[in-house]
Amino acid sequence: MKLILKITILYLFISLLVFALGGIITFEVIKREVDLEQQRFLKERLNSAIRMIERRNLDKPFKRDKISILPLAVLEEETEIIYSDTIVMHSTLQRMEPHVKLDVIKNVKGRSYKISMFDLIVEEDDIAEGVQESLIKMYILLTVVVLILSGVASFFLLKPFNHTLQIIKNFRLSNNEDVKFSKSSTSEFNKLNIFLGEMTLKMRRDYLAMKEFTENASHEMQTPLTIASGKLEMLLNADNLTDEQMSMIVSAQDSIRRLSKMNKSLSLLTKIENKEFESKDEVNLSAKLEQQIFDFEELINLKSIKLHKDITGNVKLKIDDVLCNILLTNLLQNAVRHNFEEGEIYVNLTTDELSITNTGNPLLTDPDVLFDRFKKGNQSAESIGLGLAIVKKICDANGFEVDYIYANGKHKLTVSFQHKPQ
Amino acid sequence: MKVLLVEDNIDLAQNIKGYLDKEGYVVESVGTYETAIKKLAGFDYDVVLLDIMLPDGNGLEILQYLKRHTPDTGVLISSAKNALDDRIQGLELGADDYLSKPFHLSELNARIKAIYRRRQLSGANEMTLNEISINTDTLDVRVNDNLLDLTRKEYELLLFFIVNKNRVLTKQSIAEHLWGDYMDSMDSFDFVYQHIKNLRKKITAAGGRDYIQTMYGSGYKFNTNT
Repeated sequence: MKLILKITILYLFISLLVFALGGIITFEVIKREVDLEQQRFLKERLNSAIRMIERRNLDKPFKRDKISILPLAVLEEETEIIYSDTIVMHSTLQRMEPHVKLDVIKNVKGRSYKISMFDLIVEEDDIAEGVQESLIKMYILLTVVVLILSGVASFFLLKPFNHTLQIIKNFRLSNNEDVKFSKSSTSEFNKLNIFLGEMTLKMRRDYLAMKEFTENASHEMQTPLTIASGKLEMLLNADNLTDEQMSMIVSAQDSIRRLSKMNKSLSLLTKIENKEFESKDEVNLSAKLEQQIFDFEELINLKSIKLHKDITGNVKLKIDDVLCNILLTNLLQNAVRHNFEEGEIYVNLTTDELSITNTGNPLLTDPDVLFDRFKKGNQSAESIGLGLAIVKKICDANGFEVDYIYANGKHKLTVSFQHKPQ
Repeated sequence: MKVLLVEDNIDLAQNIKGYLDKEGYVVESVGTYETAIKKLAGFDYDVVLLDIMLPDGNGLEILQYLKRHTPDTGVLISSAKNALDDRIQGLELGADDYLSKPFHLSELNARIKAIYRRRQLSGANEMTLNEISINTDTLDVRVNDNLLDLTRKEYELLLFFIVNKNRVLTKQSIAEHLWGDYMDSMDSFDFVYQHIKNLRKKITAAGGRDYIQTMYGSGYKFNTNT
């Protein structure tokens, strides 16, 4: 729900409470005024009643609509006028209505009279109805006006905010452009913009530092490794080496290669994480897959593996070209490496998914950690255990899903291309 | 063959120079952009081995200089950067080949030789070693004038051996030469063995000597002194 709508609804709810309370107050005030008016009116009528008593020298009870005068037998002390409410049948409306009643004892010409009269100018429920109706109409008017105004106001007031949102949405770490926020007349938005500006600047600086570190770490390490490897190669060609010494040299060299490969793989993982492969080319996956299978054919044949492929033609994907190659290489390599002599590989490509199935020993580790770094299905010294971690990273970066199942002695890795909203 | 080595790391430069010297190349080594340009302005080289990252400049600029002034010089780029950008950029600018660190010196040697062969105008497509002769254009291999029926990999293997003759080649370096980077499983050593066995058989069957010597625990050597 939009903020402005929330605020509007809250505002309308509060105004509803205020209007309800206001209605009661208005009703009370009007009723009080009407009652006062009523009392004044009754008082005037009392005066005319007294004049009538004087004129007529009334000595027997007088009873008319809304007035009764009762001459008292003995002279009594005059009382204050007492107003009270009473419910009397309304003559025209023909129903019980609350009236204002006046009771008093007056002495006129040496005689006491008990006078009581009542009347009604405005009925109570008329007041209530009037107040209710006017308040409801006002409330409806208020609601309409507030809704319209909030729409208009949010458009203008929140314009800089929406602008900022747009900028943040388009913000890419790997993009080198500085984030520019427009100035706003709202101090909160300016504060937000300043804060976001500083934050993005810091993020980018950290990102660059990390990227530089990764590149340097990877780069600076390769040269000494090349030197070490080269020296060992020279040493290998020295005279008079025993077999044992030679195999020690070779094993040292292998370790250097592995170290270098690990380093390169880790730096590749970091690069994918840093979204350095953002270019989304349209890649013909079918053609690429065929090419990769062709490249692997010799290895597959050397291991006497039977390859079954079912590749739908012209499957196009939006993915970085380099990453796509790495993805396919790693998947195929995985299927060949962890396979038996005379095993089998099934490669299936549809427009929705790519699945590669291979025979092989069951996993010794938990399948859930298969895509984690350095989690190897078997601890063969040769694989460094980053291949599937890279596969997973590439899939994550492109919104693909990758799944692993083991059934009937076969490992099956499936990459689904359905683009999920990222 | 004259080779200019542009590499800022002195240790590595010495290492490479040591290996290539033994091949009978004339190798000169410089460590900066400045000195490299000076050398290139004064002398002609057959192949330049170029490190991209130099203390005072980018190796790719030297490549551009070479393409402008001596386009006949072969260029092999070596870079520690795994950045695929470098590779593509280097090749687009006209480098003959790209080698990423760390590399086997035998591999470096094979690449330099290949560049040199490709760039020679005539006659160099024929390589001869005793009774073996190889035509690098037609990929024909003859032993005592008998044409050998070699697979592509066997041909590449033989060429790699001959280019690095009398040196110990590890199974690892052979595997990488034949199958590239993603060939790192233990199995590959068996494949290397199979290819070598076949190659050896084919050469001896055609009346050639058994040059390929197995070095126990380390690798193989194409020994011309047997």
